[in-house]
Amino acid sequence: MSRNRSIEDDFTRRMIIAAGAGGVVWAGLVARLFQLQVLEREKYQAAAEDNHIKLALAPPQRGRILDRFGKPLASHRRAGRVSIVPEQTRDPAGTLAQVAALIDLSDERIERLAGEITAGRRRNAGFVPIIVANELTYEDFARMNVHAAEIPGVQVEMALTRSYPRGRDFAHVLGYVARASQDDLERLSVGMEADEAKRLEKLFRHPDMRTGRQGMERFAEEYLRGKPGFRKLVTNAHGRVIEEIPDERFAPVPGKDLYITIDSDLQRAVIERFGEESGAAVMIQVDTGDVLAMVSTPAFDPNDFVNGISGTAYAELRDNPQSPLYPRAHGGVYPPGSTFKMVVATAALESGAVKPTDRVNCNGYYRFGNRTWHCWKKGGHGSMDMHNGIKHSCDVYFYDIARRTGVEAIAAAARKFGFGEAWTLGMTGARGGLVPDPEWKQRAMGEPWYEGETLNFGIGQGQLGVTPLQLSLMTARIAAEGRSLKPHLVGLGPQSGDDGVLDQPLDKDIIDIMRSGMYGVTSEGGGTAYRSGDLGLGGPRMAGKSGTAQVRRISKAERDKGIRKGLNIERELRDHALFVAYAPADNPKYACAVVVEHGESGSGAAAPMARDILRFAIENDSGRKPAYGQTASVTPAGQGEPT
Amino acid sequence: MSRDGYTGFSRGEARTRTAKSLNFETMGPLRRLAKLPWGFILLIIAMALTGVAMLYSSAYTNPNEHNLWYLQLTRFGISFVMMLVLAMLPLSWWRTLALPAYAFTILLLVLVLVMGFSGGGAQRWLQIGPIGVQPSEFAKLATTMALAWYYDRVITPTSGRILIHIGALCIMLIPAALIFKQPDFGTTLALIASGGVVIFLAGLSMRVILVGMLAGIASVPGIYFVLADYQRERVDTFLAQMSGHATNALGESYQIEQGLIAIGGGGVNGKGWLQGIQSQQDYVPEQHTDFILTVIGEEFGFIGTTALLLGFAVILGWSFYSASQSHSWFGRLASAGAAATVAFYIVFNVGMVIGLLPVVGMPLPLISYGGTAMLTTMACFGLILSAHMHRDEKLSSTGII
Repeated sequence: MSRNRSIEDDFTRRMIIAAGAGGVVWAGLVARLFQLQVLEREKYQAAAEDNHIKLALAPPQRGRILDRFGKPLASHRRAGRVSIVPEQTRDPAGTLAQVAALIDLSDERIERLAGEITAGRRRNAGFVPIIVANELTYEDFARMNVHAAEIPGVQVEMALTRSYPRGRDFAHVLGYVARASQDDLERLSVGMEADEAKRLEKLFRHPDMRTGRQGMERFAEEYLRGKPGFRKLVTNAHGRVIEEIPDERFAPVPGKDLYITIDSDLQRAVIERFGEESGAAVMIQVDTGDVLAMVSTPAFDPNDFVNGISGTAYAELRDNPQSPLYPRAHGGVYPPGSTFKMVVATAALESGAVKPTDRVNCNGYYRFGNRTWHCWKKGGHGSMDMHNGIKHSCDVYFYDIARRTGVEAIAAAARKFGFGEAWTLGMTGARGGLVPDPEWKQRAMGEPWYEGETLNFGIGQGQLGVTPLQLSLMTARIAAEGRSLKPHLVGLGPQSGDDGVLDQPLDKDIIDIMRSGMYGVTSEGGGTAYRSGDLGLGGPRMAGKSGTAQVRRISKAERDKGIRKGLNIERELRDHALFVAYAPADNPKYACAVVVEHGESGSGAAAPMARDILRFAIENDSGRKPAYGQTASVTPAGQGEPT
Repeated sequence: MSRDGYTGFSRGEARTRTAKSLNFETMGPLRRLAKLPWGFILLIIAMALTGVAMLYSSAYTNPNEHNLWYLQLTRFGISFVMMLVLAMLPLSWWRTLALPAYAFTILLLVLVLVMGFSGGGAQRWLQIGPIGVQPSEFAKLATTMALAWYYDRVITPTSGRILIHIGALCIMLIPAALIFKQPDFGTTLALIASGGVVIFLAGLSMRVILVGMLAGIASVPGIYFVLADYQRERVDTFLAQMSGHATNALGESYQIEQGLIAIGGGGVNGKGWLQGIQSQQDYVPEQHTDFILTVIGEEFGFIGTTALLLGFAVILGWSFYSASQSHSWFGRLASAGAAATVAFYIVFNVGMVIGLLPVVGMPLPLISYGGTAMLTTMACFGLILSAHMHRDEKLSSTGII
């Protein structure tokens, strides 16, 4: 019995030992939990934060571009988009197949995307989303939105896409934005520190980021771009975004809105007036230098370039015989023809070689040396003074005074009117044309200047090349009676630092003679564009000057046969029709230049067009006070921004 | 525990109630149910419902798993009824069943090795009709019962010699070896540990135990080399983590690390039910099964985890106390062994999740999602309750061996 007793006691003792050991183990577990959850909780809480909160780069919203009266020319449009984050997808091919089952994707595109995803992973950029499809239809967007949660790595979102509501109207002025290419990045990061350039590159890898590739978009890139911020995103273990934590401190700073001086309604009216014709027209407000219309037609739709234009679509634009990609208004160089005669006359009077009353007799041709120069009017104009010379556009009169004035004086006057200088005004593709002189000829061609060339210079032909924009500046300076002129295209925003001011003095008395001649052209019997002078507004008239730019030389044989010009030759061989004008004639507010390619006759094709667009400007008061006030900044681009 | 008439009695007092207890067999089933220690049972229900709530939290955001809580609740309901039925079984039945159950388990374990299917890197599962079972889970209870049966037979007032324990060791090591072969190191250890508790309680000399423990520790490096590759990786991960080395971010150390972040991130008070960020966003793999503690830790904090451990401590403490009240060796040892089985589940699971032990696939009793473990746990409680209800039975222990 005592033996039994001791076994019982031993059992009890062992039970107590076992329970005690269990208690020690339990205490150990609680101690460890105390360490984790009480002593070190902050460390783990921070780790949890790190775990699930990701800072995603938030691209800034690009500033809009608005017209004179605040109508949007470049803004944003919401569009559905599907993208794949390479690092979040295990099986790119499978993921793409799942997406392709929901939206239409070509096999070729799938293959390319698979390559991009693999490449993204390889160069450690797996976090940068790769866009599968842009501009989803509403149905596609809804369907993708429902199913995306089941496909790891697939994101469906509404993104802001750059949009040009006026389409082609401003293609050559605004240009367009595009995904930044390597070239773009190199251009944009010129002069930057290495890490700054790296940040910029990272920003532009974001699928929402675009950079101005052409036109005003490119010129005002920094002003429009804004500053990127961050989005605080809560993600799950698979990287899928669960929610966004709003945080004002990280919000991106949107780019500023840029106002340009153009009246978009006038711009549209000009384009409509051109119809199927190709050409260019520029209108300038005489007292402010504001560019009110800047048309080059035909044009392309910049919306096509925002998400990358396809190779075939681009080839179609490039190979179109009417060259829609060509910025005629500021990049198209034409011989000014007779529209240049005011410059020659001004030079003649300024040089003192000619008086306004000096008469030249025109019997249809002009002999100099052993060559003969013809007047456009076969029988000649008879005795011409300066007023009549301009009014009738008598070539013989201008051969004579040009020869007497000399090439240097004419070239100097041309420069005073803005010729020979590229006026970018914030656009790309501007060209300066050419104002020839002996020094240039010696340099460029290694030959001396022949006096016969001065005669051609006198009627705006020969080597002389000008842009429609330059012609409009010349006209504006005449309309402003020689006051200085500072042309603007940017109303509120960075001004181009490259462009000068047309402030070289011009004698008001001399300019008045030009004005009276131009008034004669449209408003006196015998004027070359007499029929176009009346604006049909019951009062104000237009003053102007026609011009014809030769596309090819007329051979002697043709001249002898009487074929000098006409609508009976092939269109591509017809001359360009030019007209420069201002209105109202007695108190000029608007000056314009019109070039109708292959329009044949300046007075026939271009003058009515100039009349109609000037009438539109007057009727609609296009030059009235702009929406941005008169506080336009004159700071050059990239050197500080106006508030 | 409330004063339900079954706690707080000394052995002397209990003995005076023997006459009443002898009438037990003649009571109606309802009166017998009423005699159960309901405080203990309510605590078990509370723990299981906590588990269901945590399962809901861990899986409700996942469309494929959001009804797990409901499945688990159903399982618990079935297991609960089974536990009540088992609690009613006379202790002598348990003893009679011990050997057949043990033999059957050994058979199943052999079958697993021959024709089982794999899951989680080891061959542990056996398909019986529509359900897959893990015989190794049942083996824990069956081995405990077999050991209790064995000692019940061999312990006599004159016993006490070391030799009788050799038989017990064999009973324990046969299933242990079969499970180790699967390979399932965790369950092997748990089985040896809970079996060891039974042998210890049965009176194995302290000196022998000490020597055995030293030998066990000495053999640890040797065991490392017979482990399967995935087990070795786990140990490596554990050692690397203990020594503060960063390891692979997506493997097991990821799991442990994310689990620690969840638990530590819960802080003192926790983030609130359904509010755990780690838990809700799939950061912790297996969080509805083995890593369910991370959800409790994150959403209910130190208070929640401590309360959980306290709840388990009460359940196990009472079970141990109840075991000590039994008048038969079978009742004592089977009951204590069953409590030890549950206790080692908890220690291994919690120890693994909070980074004190290597990853051994071991669920948290009553809380983790899983059918076999739930059945085993509830069967253990059924045995403990039965031993409690029949604590005054003095089983005739005529030495067969």
